[in-house]
Amino acid sequence: MKRRIQVVICRVCSGAANVLDVEKLLRVANEAPYVGSAIAVNYACNAKTIAQIVEEAKSREVDRMLIIPCSKSDVSPALFQAYKKKAKINEFLMETVDLVGEIVLPHRDNPARAQAKAESKLLAAITRMAMLEPLQKSSEKMRTKNVVIIGAGVAGVEAARQATQAGMHTILIEKSDKEVKAPGVVMPKTRLVSAKGHAGNFILTIEAGEKRETLECAAVVIASGGDWSDAKGPLVQACGAKPLYRLVQEIGEGIISREGVVIVDTPDPKADITSAQDFAWEDAIQSAIEIRKKSPETEVYLLFQEMRALGLDELSYRDAADLGVRFVRYDKKRPPHADPKDKSKIVVIDSVQGQTLSIPYGGVYYASIAPNPDNVSISEALRIPMTESGGLRRGSMQKGPIATPRPGVLVCGSAQFPRSENISRLEGRAAGALAAQLVSTGIVEFGGSVAEVTPDKCSACLTCVRTCPFEAPFIGNAGKAEIQLQLCQGCGMCVGICPSKAIELHNYTDDQLSTETASYIGGDF
Amino acid sequence: MIVAERKPLGEIVEMIAQLHKVTVIGCRSCVAICLAGGEKEVKMLISALKLKNRKEGRKQEFDGFVLERQCEKEWVKEVDDKILASDVILSMSCSLGAQTIADMYPEKVVVPGLNTAMFGVPEEQGMWSEKCLGCGDCIIHTTGGICPIARCAKSMLNGPCGGSSDGHCEVNLDIECAWYAIHERLKLQGRLDLLEAVRPPKDWTPSHSGGRRIIVREDAKLTQHQKRGKEAVI
Repeated sequence: MKRRIQVVICRVCSGAANVLDVEKLLRVANEAPYVGSAIAVNYACNAKTIAQIVEEAKSREVDRMLIIPCSKSDVSPALFQAYKKKAKINEFLMETVDLVGEIVLPHRDNPARAQAKAESKLLAAITRMAMLEPLQKSSEKMRTKNVVIIGAGVAGVEAARQATQAGMHTILIEKSDKEVKAPGVVMPKTRLVSAKGHAGNFILTIEAGEKRETLECAAVVIASGGDWSDAKGPLVQACGAKPLYRLVQEIGEGIISREGVVIVDTPDPKADITSAQDFAWEDAIQSAIEIRKKSPETEVYLLFQEMRALGLDELSYRDAADLGVRFVRYDKKRPPHADPKDKSKIVVIDSVQGQTLSIPYGGVYYASIAPNPDNVSISEALRIPMTESGGLRRGSMQKGPIATPRPGVLVCGSAQFPRSENISRLEGRAAGALAAQLVSTGIVEFGGSVAEVTPDKCSACLTCVRTCPFEAPFIGNAGKAEIQLQLCQGCGMCVGICPSKAIELHNYTDDQLSTETASYIGGDF
Repeated sequence: MIVAERKPLGEIVEMIAQLHKVTVIGCRSCVAICLAGGEKEVKMLISALKLKNRKEGRKQEFDGFVLERQCEKEWVKEVDDKILASDVILSMSCSLGAQTIADMYPEKVVVPGLNTAMFGVPEEQGMWSEKCLGCGDCIIHTTGGICPIARCAKSMLNGPCGGSSDGHCEVNLDIECAWYAIHERLKLQGRLDLLEAVRPPKDWTPSHSGGRRIIVREDAKLTQHQKRGKEAVI
């Protein structure tokens, strides 16, 4: 192996030019061992520049590349793909250094400090780069193009439509026997029992009544939604509070009370709401706006402890306020309650102004949605962790907003926490499209920078088996731990906890990590 | 398995402070599995000691490795040269491993890096609980598979005592009452009659009360003749 590194600094995007002395960085890089070429370019993501870099890489015969782009997460995958194809560089011999986020932004008032830090970071990255080994990925054919969608609510149906449009076979399983208008196969009164396999080749066991059958699929979309059954609480007893979706239905049917509508976050306002429940505030605000538009004489009150509307929905606060919707913040120690003297009124103390309001109402609605109790069994079957409030957890932001920690499994709509109908629809579409994207290649790739066991060192203590969130390690026939590559995500948890140091993560070995760290602090440690 | 815990760093530093060449020896058996003395812990301890030395301006030499089982002479013998070359052996095994080395190399200073805690069971990742005291006379067939000697704070034979409340022990409400658990288990098995008989005092002579215990399997022992033959082969 040549072990010759090309260092590419993007002058413009890395923001380096404003704070850092790029020429000096290049000199430092050029003097470092193993560096075959160090260049600064403008716009490293530009097609022309890429061609220039590839030319340089070929003529200098480098076999690895260290890129300093604008930010670690945005551009690098696309860049890596380009260099992998055009300069024939192994994808595991390309890394980025985030000078912008870690150095330029925090130290922009102190260029000298920034420069020193950037140089030591660059040298550490070069040290690491020189130690990396080229790795190969393996691949496997998908046996099917099926996409299984769990739950035929708004999000699930939308996901089915989107995936079908992209040419996938969708199978929609729904626990109730409600009528579902969706393309592909719809299986009513069916639930997921268990799942085996991995992205691209899952084998699900489903249950319809007494009957159990297995189902092969390449991707799974969870659209289990929230629990729409009626909740309990003092406001339900005293004021007949109803869940918010009933208000949405009533507005749709044109039934709007003239005596006033009160929307409160929870039917039990004394309870600690932040930990246990989630709220459909977007739908609440939209309903309030619609009521005011359709029936201007109806007073609408929104009673809340904490309100959040995501993204552009925040703009609807103003629309609602302009239309005369009243927002009242209360303290859970002094919760809204039915007026003891006159049950047709709700008493609430506005915690901002300290005013006591007595509101006459025609209907009371609560905006909380309990998580779907079926999430527990879905979580166990597909091994998706749950959130504290009982929803299904998403993966890290790098994996995108619809992904779960488990590859090939996507989650959309209220399965994580309550979403408005619009957002559910949008997420359903996204999940359908992502599932189609995953399945359309027909091939699953795995391996690369993953964990590997040194059998001689393994004590078969089961620590890795218990720790891995993806259930990749198992004790094989030889009585030693083995890693199922298709499941390994290279997270390194088993490597960190293995008491016998029997597991290594390729390109993140102890030697590689400690030599890199040592180069920061200047020597052994 | 034998469950152990690492001693606090300060205590370890104190034990080895005056000696220069330190050899840290771990064990790949029980203490590795209970995350106390495997290769990872050995390496981490050496790093911690080096950092502390650097901070406090002390100079020592460290070497570290693990043995298959530190309580067996054959495995220890394999690192004979390294042991002889060091000033102090810091054993990261249970006390059995440490004592094996100490007995084999009486002139060497051997210090324990771990506190040997108990015979325990991994209840879940990162949590071990004691279930046996090694009394030498097992009676769990009469107690629904639950050992009252290890799991009852008083090691009672006829429990529960008056301190049992709602299934918990008065010593610490986090501990389950072993006798309550025994009652529940036998009830489940329909064998509550086992609890009607009064248990006489136990024979404690096979326990530690009889002094240091030695177990001999005559049929497994090698004869003088066999021993001589083995030596000849080696």
